[in-house]
Amino acid sequence: MNKYDRAAVAAVALMLVAGAAIFLFAPTDYLQGPVQRIFYLHVSSAIAAYGCFAVVLVGGIIYLRTENPVADRFARAGAIVGLLFTTVTLVMGMLWAKPIWNTFWTWDARLTSTLVLWMIYAGYLLVRRLADPGRQSARLAAVVGIFGFIDVPVVHFSVTWWRTVHPGPIIVNDALPPEMLATFFFSLACTLVLAGVMIAIRYRIETLLDAAQSVREPAKLIATAREPEPVP
Amino acid sequence: MIYLVIAYAFAVAVLGGYLVWSLRTLRKLEHKQ
Amino acid sequence: MNPFKVAVAVARKDLRSEWRTRELVPALAQFIILALLIANFGFQIDSRNAPSIAPGILWLTLVFAGLVAFGRTFAAERDQASLEAILMTPASPVAIFAGKAIAATLLLVVCEAVMLPALSLFFGTPLGVDMIAAVLLATIGMAALGCLFAALVARVRARELLLPLLTLPLWIPFIIAGGQAVQSAMGLPGNYQEAIGLLIDFDILFVVLTSLAARFVLDE
Repeated sequence: MNKYDRAAVAAVALMLVAGAAIFLFAPTDYLQGPVQRIFYLHVSSAIAAYGCFAVVLVGGIIYLRTENPVADRFARAGAIVGLLFTTVTLVMGMLWAKPIWNTFWTWDARLTSTLVLWMIYAGYLLVRRLADPGRQSARLAAVVGIFGFIDVPVVHFSVTWWRTVHPGPIIVNDALPPEMLATFFFSLACTLVLAGVMIAIRYRIETLLDAAQSVREPAKLIATAREPEPVP
Repeated sequence: MIYLVIAYAFAVAVLGGYLVWSLRTLRKLEHKQ
Repeated sequence: MNPFKVAVAVARKDLRSEWRTRELVPALAQFIILALLIANFGFQIDSRNAPSIAPGILWLTLVFAGLVAFGRTFAAERDQASLEAILMTPASPVAIFAGKAIAATLLLVVCEAVMLPALSLFFGTPLGVDMIAAVLLATIGMAALGCLFAALVARVRARELLLPLLTLPLWIPFIIAGGQAVQSAMGLPGNYQEAIGLLIDFDILFVVLTSLAARFVLDE
């Protein structure tokens, strides 16, 4: 059991405690009933996702300025974990929408900008996969990550503005009783810990993958040096 | 409510599944080193 | 080297080369007309629903024409490996980027000059200053973003797939605000002033950001 295993166990244990709080401690919502409990993990995931993409943003900026591979590895890790949490946010959101608004989807600011968030970081990972590994991939992805991070609040704002002309479903949550608030903050903290552990594990994986790649590259250079480049 | 159950089941499957998968990937890579 | 002169020189080169070959604009103009035709049948347009559907058709057509136009911005350079040559000159990458963005914008504006009258002819939409202003303002920001990402994917595999995936999410705010502006210009409910204000804000934001990013994308 290395340190990553231990950290993962700790994070899972925390999430189980959070689960207990969500299902046993938090009161049932008067208007929405038990399904409102989706809120705790749904919103925590959204915040965790955005935090992951902040890691992508900062990693990208640092990489563009210093070309430090550590920054790029954190960006890679952040993008994968962030996309995961975004997926959880979207699906839980849809499953919450159905019983409350009688539709799985609606074009409100939050769902729309979360979908855009998902698309942007799916694009980020695609760029990483398709670009030449190493410097090209890291630089291009950094630009995508930076623009992506800025685009999401812009989209959120635009849709909110658009909603003033096209009113939509009313978000039912504003005033939370203290037990719910406490449960939420606790769930959020546990989710952030889980996200942190996942990023740490992925960072380690990326480090090992990079090391393996740098061993392969000299061999590849020698192998391809024999074949002349085709004339365009 | 069934939606509540499915929602949390999904979250556990995705997050838990990824955690397990990444730990295994890490172990495989460490072994190779 | 004076960056403005560089930008203008790059823009003129691109425009001149398009003028000589006359590839992009006629093809795009044809594409636009075809798109309007398909929209007519796809949406089952008649005189009653035309006003409410026409704004959507405008933006869909513009978006796809834009993707084609910006996708080609760096295609010629890539094919002839002249991008590396240009970058080796002391000209600043931002100026080069600005030149290419200006050229691509102007080409797209020419296509809009085909699209708006055609839209008016086929679907009876009004063709006033309001409409034109809204479309032009949106084009500026969309062009900056389109060109930046075209440069970004120029040397990546599957660039034709990547360009729409990366660019469209960033174009969404322009389509939201532009859609409102065009709709209210056509007489339907909507706040024109606010929409135009938003378009200008987005233009400023993204032109500044793309200029800052240009040197990381073009510098290889």
